[in-house]
Amino acid sequence: MERKDNQSPRGHIAGILVEFLEVAITSVVFLKGIYSPGAFERRRYMNVVVQRARHPQLRDYIHSAVSGLLPFIEKGLVERVAVIFFNTDNIPVERFMFKLTVNQSFDSKVEESDLEFSLRSFLIKLSVSQPLTKVLPCDCRWEITAYFRSLPQVRNSKDTELWISTDTKQWQQPPLITPIKSMNSEPLGVQLFLEHPSPSEPKS
Amino acid sequence: MSLDSSRSANSGPQNSKRSFNSNSSNNKDNSSNSKKRKSNQKTLGMAWGANSLSTSRSSFRSSPFSDFGSYMVEKNRKLQNQFDAEASNSSLSDTSTKPIFRGVSIFVDGFTVPSSQELRRYMLNYGGRFENYFSRHRVTHIICSNLPDSKIKNIRSFSGGLPVVKPTWVLDSVAVNRLLSWVPYQLDQLASNQPTLSTFFTSKISPASEGVFADAICEVKHGTEDLCLKDASKDAKFSEAGEPSEWRKKITEEHDELMHGNTNSKVIEEPSSSYSEASQEVKVVERSNLEQDDESRENNRPQYCPEQPSASVSSHCFDNHSVKGSPHSTALGPLKQCHSTLGDPNFVENYFKNSRLHFIGTWRNRYRKRFPSLPNGFKCMNSHSDVSADTQKTAIIHIDMDCFFVSVVIRSHPELHDKPVAVCHSDNPKGTAEISSANYPARDYGIRAGMFVRDAKALCTHLVILPYNFEAYEEVADQFYNILHKYCNRVQAVSCDEAFLDVTDLEGEDPKLLASAIRKEIFEATGCTASAGIAVNMLMARLATRTAKPNGQCYISPERVDEYLDQLPLKALPGIGHVLEEKLKNRNVRTCGQLRMISKGSLQKDFGFKTGEMLWNYSRGVDNRLVGTIQESKSVGAEVNWGVRFRDLQDTQHFLLDLCKEVSLRLQGCGVQGRTFTLKIKKRRKDAGEPAKYMGCGDCENLSHSTTVPLATDDVEVLQRITKQLFGFFHVDVKDIRGVGLQVSRLESVDTSKQVLERNSLKSWLMSASASSEERCDVSSIAKDRVGTDTEGKSMGGNSGVLCTDPVGNSVLRTNNTSNGDGCSNQILSIPQLCHLDMGVVESLPSELQSELNEMYGGKLVDLIAKSKGQGENSTGSLCFHPPELSKEEAERSHNSDPISLSRTAVEMMGKQHILEELQTVPDSGTGSNSNAISIQALDNNDLMPSSLSQVDTSVLQQLPEELRADLFESLPAHRRQEISTLGPNRDNLHHPLCINQPESTDSGLTNNLWIGNPPLWVDKFKVSNLLMLRFFADMYYKSKSAENLSSILQCTIAESLHPLDAKCDAWNEAVHSFNELLMEYIKLKIVVDIEEIYVCFRLLRRLSTKSEFFLEVYNLVFPHLQDLCFGKLNTFLALEFSILTSLH
Repeated sequence: MERKDNQSPRGHIAGILVEFLEVAITSVVFLKGIYSPGAFERRRYMNVVVQRARHPQLRDYIHSAVSGLLPFIEKGLVERVAVIFFNTDNIPVERFMFKLTVNQSFDSKVEESDLEFSLRSFLIKLSVSQPLTKVLPCDCRWEITAYFRSLPQVRNSKDTELWISTDTKQWQQPPLITPIKSMNSEPLGVQLFLEHPSPSEPKS
Repeated sequence: MSLDSSRSANSGPQNSKRSFNSNSSNNKDNSSNSKKRKSNQKTLGMAWGANSLSTSRSSFRSSPFSDFGSYMVEKNRKLQNQFDAEASNSSLSDTSTKPIFRGVSIFVDGFTVPSSQELRRYMLNYGGRFENYFSRHRVTHIICSNLPDSKIKNIRSFSGGLPVVKPTWVLDSVAVNRLLSWVPYQLDQLASNQPTLSTFFTSKISPASEGVFADAICEVKHGTEDLCLKDASKDAKFSEAGEPSEWRKKITEEHDELMHGNTNSKVIEEPSSSYSEASQEVKVVERSNLEQDDESRENNRPQYCPEQPSASVSSHCFDNHSVKGSPHSTALGPLKQCHSTLGDPNFVENYFKNSRLHFIGTWRNRYRKRFPSLPNGFKCMNSHSDVSADTQKTAIIHIDMDCFFVSVVIRSHPELHDKPVAVCHSDNPKGTAEISSANYPARDYGIRAGMFVRDAKALCTHLVILPYNFEAYEEVADQFYNILHKYCNRVQAVSCDEAFLDVTDLEGEDPKLLASAIRKEIFEATGCTASAGIAVNMLMARLATRTAKPNGQCYISPERVDEYLDQLPLKALPGIGHVLEEKLKNRNVRTCGQLRMISKGSLQKDFGFKTGEMLWNYSRGVDNRLVGTIQESKSVGAEVNWGVRFRDLQDTQHFLLDLCKEVSLRLQGCGVQGRTFTLKIKKRRKDAGEPAKYMGCGDCENLSHSTTVPLATDDVEVLQRITKQLFGFFHVDVKDIRGVGLQVSRLESVDTSKQVLERNSLKSWLMSASASSEERCDVSSIAKDRVGTDTEGKSMGGNSGVLCTDPVGNSVLRTNNTSNGDGCSNQILSIPQLCHLDMGVVESLPSELQSELNEMYGGKLVDLIAKSKGQGENSTGSLCFHPPELSKEEAERSHNSDPISLSRTAVEMMGKQHILEELQTVPDSGTGSNSNAISIQALDNNDLMPSSLSQVDTSVLQQLPEELRADLFESLPAHRRQEISTLGPNRDNLHHPLCINQPESTDSGLTNNLWIGNPPLWVDKFKVSNLLMLRFFADMYYKSKSAENLSSILQCTIAESLHPLDAKCDAWNEAVHSFNELLMEYIKLKIVVDIEEIYVCFRLLRRLSTKSEFFLEVYNLVFPHLQDLCFGKLNTFLALEFSILTSLH
């Protein structure tokens, strides 16, 4: 989780963002109670109590998924990162959508404390947003999906390989959203909202 | 939870007991305590165990702990051991830290910045303790940033009487590397809650303040407060129940004593009261007419010294004296009012007006301004210096006015010439004012500069004391230097009355004759005498003057140097002060002759390289310094160490502001700006009593902090900000401050940074926009770009100005324009340019221009493109410029022309394009008659201020600092502000043709104008509206705390119950419409960046709609649009459970 020093401001921001996503996604997974609470342990991040996955595989999945995003976030390609929960038919039931906006041309030094303050509010809000979410059916599945602004050119480097294009089922109707938290602290804007299928969505 | 458990363990019978035995309970040994707790905790532990998830009864029993209490004891012990182990590790690894927190044991409650872990680390490193679980016996300080109301209300049961302190206490203590008093760091919530002694006193006693004793009482209050504070910091048990009453008793005792003293010496009450004011607040005393008052205060001094209230007992013995002094004081009583600091906010100013040192200090700048070209003449000295080293031809004259400060003053009083005269602020015979200069007859009595007046008067009862006359000094100094410069062009000014002349070049003249000629002329011109010393170097010349004085001259030939120096006491040498003299005296060296016995190496070893060399040289009469220019001053500053007494932080801040003003003036006077700022504070030593000198600084510690800023400045506000910040580093009790100085160094000549000077107001900033290269604000660089790259931008300027003009507006605009100057119009024009930027044009610009442009916009360009793309979010990567919705015609044209000429044509084209747009939209808004005027104006290409805010890209506006924004709005004609929303062209509409359903709202500008400004335009608009509802809502804007957000305003609206507009009337529709407009603009503003805010707003609206028909209608109207927009922008719908509400519930 440690950040690399002597980066460009943009890389620095991306680093913070990725780190934050890792924590936030873990929090989401914890929140939804997919795994038993014993699979998590309390940790302190940005001076608030957060959950951290104890199971190496779970931890690894989240970690590698978001850190695989790093080069794309740096380039500003990633538009949203979603944590999607599916039912047994692989139809999404609930999506946690992180909408990212990184000001690509921001070049001055990042006020890390401001950023931290804003990001912290996410973690706090997330921990109390359980009532907004739906109860998941049992045997559900979840995954992390990223929405890109454009498909990245396929390169042979290792980091791009981690992410593959997905054919995840989408809702046919535009979803209903419930905003959870928005923040905009130059150069980074993050919005988190819940997406649920619209009532008119054909049930399969 | 942990806190709760241990706290509730303490509650119950023990709790009530605690308040009575304040100290003893602490000293109780732990065993008895833990026993007591065990009995208490049995039930508690069980309750907890039942709740806990994994602890079953059986496992609990099988564990080595009999109950929860013993478990906690064990746990705490382990935690302590861990901490100790870590602490010993960290202290081993880092020996530089000193254990400042020894004896301090903190408990961190809740969320803090820095985190509790960081605080723990500090405790580890600096010898403190950190408790994970609260215990009244182990914890000494509770650290928290914020407390819930319940804890505040019941603070005693929460804290157990322990101090509750903000985490900055720890940080600051670490920063200054000593344990600071926690008192100033007490949690704000508490500090304001707790009745302080001062309120107790003021409420009880100050009703009597009309009475004679009031001020004296006030003073006691201060004294006691001081004591209390001190005591409180020492003894954390201050707030224990028993203590205050004790204190009160003491105070009243003291008070009684004082009252007693007062009745005995009733007559002095007046002055003493004025003293008590003075002691707490900075006070200027205009010496010329206040000496007596001043003196009697001094007499009272020991009695009312606020630091030692107990001293008041001694007032009896002063009785006679004070009664004696009383006639003065009563006579002058009324005077004090106007001179007391309470009445004189200009202390600093007056202080410096009356300061001799200030005069001397600032004289230099004056001098430099008068003879600015001279320095250059000296440059050739280098070639000369080689010669001067070995020849005896060099001749230096040192010329010094005889007792300058006196003789200037008495030149108009010939009768005083042979009388002892001294110059001093005050001629109060008992005063402690220092004599600054005394004439020779006075010196014969042993009167010296720096002596207290009372001592001087004791030596010479008929000593005449005169006040300063700064104008005269200035005049004489100017004459003096005029004469010197007339005779010789190599003058080194030492002071206003002292200079060196290098007359070597004046071959033909005998330096001795020259010197006497100069002296003669000085006397004729000024009526004051001067003495001169002539020798081969500056040192000897100066020493010669010493012999020559008064009113004489002395030549020391090179042969006589040794002889002269032989018996010269060391102190006469320049550069040898008390300390050095003392050191040398210890080595039995008293004269230069003796000093010469010591080898150079030995001197350098003992006194340092430079000083050693200097001693060696000087004792041989060697001085290699050249008569040169005045040195460039390395720093500019101001320091006040007389009369500095503060009562509270506010006084201090006020004083600092004045000091900053003074320093700023001095900087401006010298024409420099500085980057490094040093704040010096003289802090009364703990054991130091009141200084002998009235209002002096006494025995002080000198503290200083400094900081460097990147951009040199002489701006008062910046200085003030920096000073405030620096002052924050000190952590001294303001009552202990005896002197404050602010010094600015790393000076830069103002010429280089002149343009940046007045950057705060938009107008001045506009003027310099083209010139200043380092403006940080994006907009200014845009302006520069505007001026720099396309000077023919006038056509564009005309166009943008045109966009919403009516005949009336024009005249206003023009006057505005002329008053603001050209730069202004350019500037304002340049802001709209961002939103007007035609991507087609940008794209076809030469590549270097393009990149420059992008740079200037600081990336805003990219934002703009992204915005103008509207829904095109999902398309491609964002770093290339794409034309938004250009008219085909224009795009074609710009593509056809060659890149360079194109930029011009394209700009023009763009301008025309806008006119077209404008002409199309204006008639829509029903002011068709304007269009004529508009087109005419356009053809004329008048340089109009673009008054339409619709030209302004809102994103840019939002990025602008608030004051800039305000300036911008101010520069718009007043009636514009309201027109904008109705008249402005629909730029947004062009890009987002989404809200077609509502013809009215689309027509009258969804231009996001309503939310621009501070307060936003809609507030003004609603305020003047004749609709009650809207006016009400505008009021809400001011009531809500964070009015930036609509949600907070709505929240406020909900809080205020209302049904005012629910009766349908004519205005109903209009109100609904206006409100809709407001909402729509807000949605557009926020939907991309802050959907949460929109969501909150609509939930609030829904709540409102259950109360009010008005909001119901608004909600129903806007909601579909919101969903439309959501769908358009985000491809989602907002989940608000029932979308259209039909009726009131």
